[in-house]
Amino acid sequence: MENLMQYIPLLIPVIALEFILMVTALVHVLRHPQYRFGNRVFWVIVVLFVQIIGPVVYFVAGRGEQ
Amino acid sequence: MDILSLSHISKRFGRLPVIKDLSFSVPEHSVFGFIGKNGSGKTTTMKMILGFLSMDGGEIKVCGEKVVYGSSKTNRFIGYLPDVPQFYPYMTPKEYLALCGKVAGLSAERTAKRSQELLTLVGLDGIDRRIRGFSRGMNQRLGIAQALLSEPKLLICDEPTSALDPIGRKEILDILAVAKTSTTILFSTHILSDVERVCDNIGVLDEGVLKLEGNLNDIKNSYRQDTALISLADPGRNQELMEGLSQLSIIKGCTEKERDVVVRFTGTEAARRQILELLLSRNLPLVRFELLEPTLENLFLEVVQ
Amino acid sequence: MNRFLAFTKKEWMEQIRTFKTLIVFLILLLFGLTSPLLAKLTPEMLKLFPIEGLNLAIPEPTWMDAYAQFFKNMTQMGVIVLLLVFNGLLSQELSKGTLINMLSKGLPRSTVILSKFTAASILWTLSYAVSALANYGYAVFLFGNPFPPHLFFACLSLWLLGELIIALLLFATTLVSGNYGGLLLTGGVLCLLLLISILPQSAPFNPITLGSGNMGLLTGDTALGDMASACIVTVVLIVLCLAGAILRFRKKQL
Repeated sequence: MENLMQYIPLLIPVIALEFILMVTALVHVLRHPQYRFGNRVFWVIVVLFVQIIGPVVYFVAGRGEQ
Repeated sequence: MDILSLSHISKRFGRLPVIKDLSFSVPEHSVFGFIGKNGSGKTTTMKMILGFLSMDGGEIKVCGEKVVYGSSKTNRFIGYLPDVPQFYPYMTPKEYLALCGKVAGLSAERTAKRSQELLTLVGLDGIDRRIRGFSRGMNQRLGIAQALLSEPKLLICDEPTSALDPIGRKEILDILAVAKTSTTILFSTHILSDVERVCDNIGVLDEGVLKLEGNLNDIKNSYRQDTALISLADPGRNQELMEGLSQLSIIKGCTEKERDVVVRFTGTEAARRQILELLLSRNLPLVRFELLEPTLENLFLEVVQ
Repeated sequence: MNRFLAFTKKEWMEQIRTFKTLIVFLILLLFGLTSPLLAKLTPEMLKLFPIEGLNLAIPEPTWMDAYAQFFKNMTQMGVIVLLLVFNGLLSQELSKGTLINMLSKGLPRSTVILSKFTAASILWTLSYAVSALANYGYAVFLFGNPFPPHLFFACLSLWLLGELIIALLLFATTLVSGNYGGLLLTGGVLCLLLLISILPQSAPFNPITLGSGNMGLLTGDTALGDMASACIVTVVLIVLCLAGAILRFRKKQL
């Protein structure tokens, strides 16, 4: 366990990046209530709980144009 | 000088001929109304003028230069407003016009100045949000602004008013009336009242050929006075009148319209005399006899039937 | 030239405002950071939670595992991200009609293709470079060995494969219509190249080598000459794809 603890500082940037991605997507989901498919609740769940892939899928496929 | 001339254009989609030997020209500083039903080939013709579609035959010249399919060279003379203009939704109108200016090769100062003038003209001045939430009318107005940005010699508008409500239509027509003072306009539509409001010359396209072309007033004059409306004191005797009229050789047809009789004939002078003689001989008391103004609608229906 | 710059700038604005920059940059950087970490931590985790009845002799991870992980992630997920993000590069503008206004103002069609390629290339190049640097930093920190053999060349070749995919996507979009036609065609071509790569003789001529031979360069299993010739073939293909895209796009009915 102690062995693993020493890697925590290296993990921080990773977690920070994931967090940035998640928050950006979450803000966008909440501020633009039109989606190509799905509804707000669906996208909030996807963005919050599917790490990395969730926000990417939202931006690539779910984000509404108008 | 002709800003635009088409000679013997033909175009097929697969085996289906869409345009057959189409020729017309648009003189400088005129407004040419390009009229036709949906699917008559108006958009196709416009896209060929812009070099977006290939031609199967014929030649198009813009300001004396030949249009080459796939090349954008002659487009420097042209401002184009598509039927449903599409913009980059993530830009503001100002940013979009700035891009248009650079693409059209205008200097930054000129673009800024023109953008300001045009946004004021089309009523989008001070709207600094992104285009994504714009209404159809706003899109159409921005479309005109981008089309006029480079002060084109020829403005081509593809059904600019078709998708709009009456207020939006009036706004667009007013803007076109202003644009008319500084450029030549080719404008397609199937809304005939719009044509009567802004056009000098018209061409009626039907089944790929121009069925009618020329100055709007000349055309209306040449078709003038071939229809008359007759009101009798006793509408109950309309049948008797119509029966009498149908025996006259110069009468092309007559119909009962509400309480009146509408009669179509050839040769105005002779027709008037004969109709009045008929009324006298049959002792039909007359309330009203009126020569009808030919409407573009009647003309159109007659030409394309 | 001014038109080219203006349209390329428009592409950048589009990338930023439609979150493409964010996605590509962050995802690639995440690959760069996590690859060495996974290589280091996976065996430790397995030691920590031994699976009943399974007594694996886990070898101590080395710097090679870090790079192997990186190249694997990049060639699989990286390519998928590129395909998804840049699929709409041209097809979306064609299907929506947003190019009509630009072309009707005299923007040459070749400029459209070259601008789009340039803008996408720059995003890919920057993101990939930062990601590779992050990977390198973490790998050196965790495993030492700051000078693996031919590392730069191995990274460069994978970058070139990304460039080919962008060019291929553009060309494919001018060949087939629809929002996903270009994507499917590009995927099909890549699968075909992958099938061909089963034949070992094809390695010096197959662009797939740029994504499969990277580790080989580090370990010495891939001949430098093979990789170099595959790189040359790929550069030629990129030029051909772009030329093809321009020629086809010029004859595209809009």
